[in-house]
Amino acid sequence: MATSSGDQGQQNCCFQKWMHLQEVDLSELLQALTLSENGDRDVRLSQLVQKMIKHFEEYIQQRNRLSRDDVSAYFAPAWCTSLENSMLWIAGCRPSSFIRLVYALCGSEIESRLTEFLQGARTGDLGELTSAQLSDINTLQSKTIKEEEQLSGVLAGLQEDIADQPFVVIARTSSGASESNGDVERALDEHAKGMASMLEDADQLRISTLKEMISILTPVQAVDFLVASKKLHLCMHAWGLKRDHRHGRE
Amino acid sequence: MAGMCCGVVGETETSATVESSSRSARRRRMEIHQLKFVAAAAEMAVLLPETGRKRHKVDAVLPPRETEGGADKIQLVESGGSEAKPLIECAPSSKCVSVRTESTELVDECPKFGTTSVCGRRRDMEDAVAVHPSFSRPENTETSGSVHFFGVYDGHGCSHVAMKCKDRMHEIVKSEMESGQAEDSWKDAMTKSFSRMDKEVTEWSNSAGHPSSNCRCELRTPQCDAVGSTAVVAIVTPDKIVVSNCGDSRAVLCRKGPDRPDELLRIEEAGGRVIYWDGARVLGVLAMSRAIGDNYLKPYVIPVPEVTVTERAAEDECLILASDGLWDVVSNDTACNVARMCLRAQRPPSPPRSPGSDVTGVTATDESSDKACSDASILLTKLALARHSTDNVSVVVVDLKRDL
Repeated sequence: MATSSGDQGQQNCCFQKWMHLQEVDLSELLQALTLSENGDRDVRLSQLVQKMIKHFEEYIQQRNRLSRDDVSAYFAPAWCTSLENSMLWIAGCRPSSFIRLVYALCGSEIESRLTEFLQGARTGDLGELTSAQLSDINTLQSKTIKEEEQLSGVLAGLQEDIADQPFVVIARTSSGASESNGDVERALDEHAKGMASMLEDADQLRISTLKEMISILTPVQAVDFLVASKKLHLCMHAWGLKRDHRHGRE
Repeated sequence: MAGMCCGVVGETETSATVESSSRSARRRRMEIHQLKFVAAAAEMAVLLPETGRKRHKVDAVLPPRETEGGADKIQLVESGGSEAKPLIECAPSSKCVSVRTESTELVDECPKFGTTSVCGRRRDMEDAVAVHPSFSRPENTETSGSVHFFGVYDGHGCSHVAMKCKDRMHEIVKSEMESGQAEDSWKDAMTKSFSRMDKEVTEWSNSAGHPSSNCRCELRTPQCDAVGSTAVVAIVTPDKIVVSNCGDSRAVLCRKGPDRPDELLRIEEAGGRVIYWDGARVLGVLAMSRAIGDNYLKPYVIPVPEVTVTERAAEDECLILASDGLWDVVSNDTACNVARMCLRAQRPPSPPRSPGSDVTGVTATDESSDKACSDASILLTKLALARHSTDNVSVVVVDLKRDL
């Protein structure tokens, strides 16, 4: 069993490894997009996408294992920038943001091709997403938002629990801040179990939403989507570092 | 496209809405509905078992304008630039131009349509779409033949008023239509229908216990009083398009102007003055002070629709009904152009901008034309999302071309 400073080290290490893997995976994805459009291209892209999902699952598993000892650290991680932390939903991204990302991606092309289209050019399907895909994404969105709201409710409950028994009673009778109390430790540990279980559920929702989105998209679209999401993640981290630096943090 | 015009009905401020006004989303949240994709072909085959090809003689009126009542002004404005320039203004009672064109043989069949409705960038779905082909066959009217219903409802506060409109409005309209209304009282029938719809919503909200309701507000008062919906309803008959609008959803008619010189000459010789308009025309006024529901805002918000009755013409291409998720970011003309390009793409190969060929070409199959309408509604929806519409987006495209 690691000491508390060891926890921090392991957590940080887990995150740093993950960010490094994001960069490696990103360049592999970008490389794959240059593949010529021959017969097995889609197969290769699909395999690559599956590999990326597997990496994400492994990260989540490792993180869940580590969080059982020290769940609080994941809700405002010291290894993330303030910018990233301000955007966290239950220690990660909102699953519904995957849908927004797809909408943002399919939009960039449609506008530029609209003029040609209106001039009568038949340039295939505009905006790439088919009607079936649009329908599936819309269904996924409503499902995801519903589950997100449920978990948000769980989070609210856990946050409110702090202002209730037993914490309030212990705090009222407490005489000094430095006082160590077995009751407090037990209560906090119990509460942390709830937090860890919620984190697992949130991570599951992230994974399942990602998987479902990938299954809706074509292999090329899926690679595009993963590229955009990884770039966004890496950029947010970089932008956050810059901002932290400007404000004299770290 | 030379001489692109679009007509805007309404108060002076209305002309500003020709340009896409990015109004920020003004609504709150609610529950999600699925995107509906109406497979029109199959459904219509069922609904229209006896699609007899009845023929009617119809006098086309250019531009087809009958604003019933009110101090409304008709404005034809040149669009395409940022400044909308009024070309002509006239009082509603006097038709700007009335030209008798050759009697067109019309066919009584359901127009093809496509609908798309997505939650988009909002977390709550408050739009509802209702399409009921051949929902009524009024027997006591001059023109027999089936009548088709298209409605777009954009709820606010919660979804339940919009959903109620979706479930009930066409039934109410049907009963009003069949209760012995003459054709010239469309405005009465529609106004009554909207009023009845509003009353139903109010009574339904006030009555205790709604086991069927699964919306987020769960009809808890007093929040429930702050729930309402816009409604734009288009009734398409063999010879008329009746649009009733209550709120800021919108119906736009895309009509091809007579851009062949010989056609123009013929019309002028027949005693008419021709106004080119090859583009969009808004049917029904936009008014934020009109809605169904919204009990707490009464009497400031009224459920009285603007009703316009438009004679169908051979030049009619399509009708677009949409919630402001589309109109916030896509102009009337752009919407029209996108829709007509989709519809023309599915028609037999015809060189663009040669209006005559659409009619003479080989008729596309039902499936492909319905696909065209769906393609149009989807493309408009995607365009709205691409232009960062922050609202729910619902689009109905009705193909008004009559394939002979």
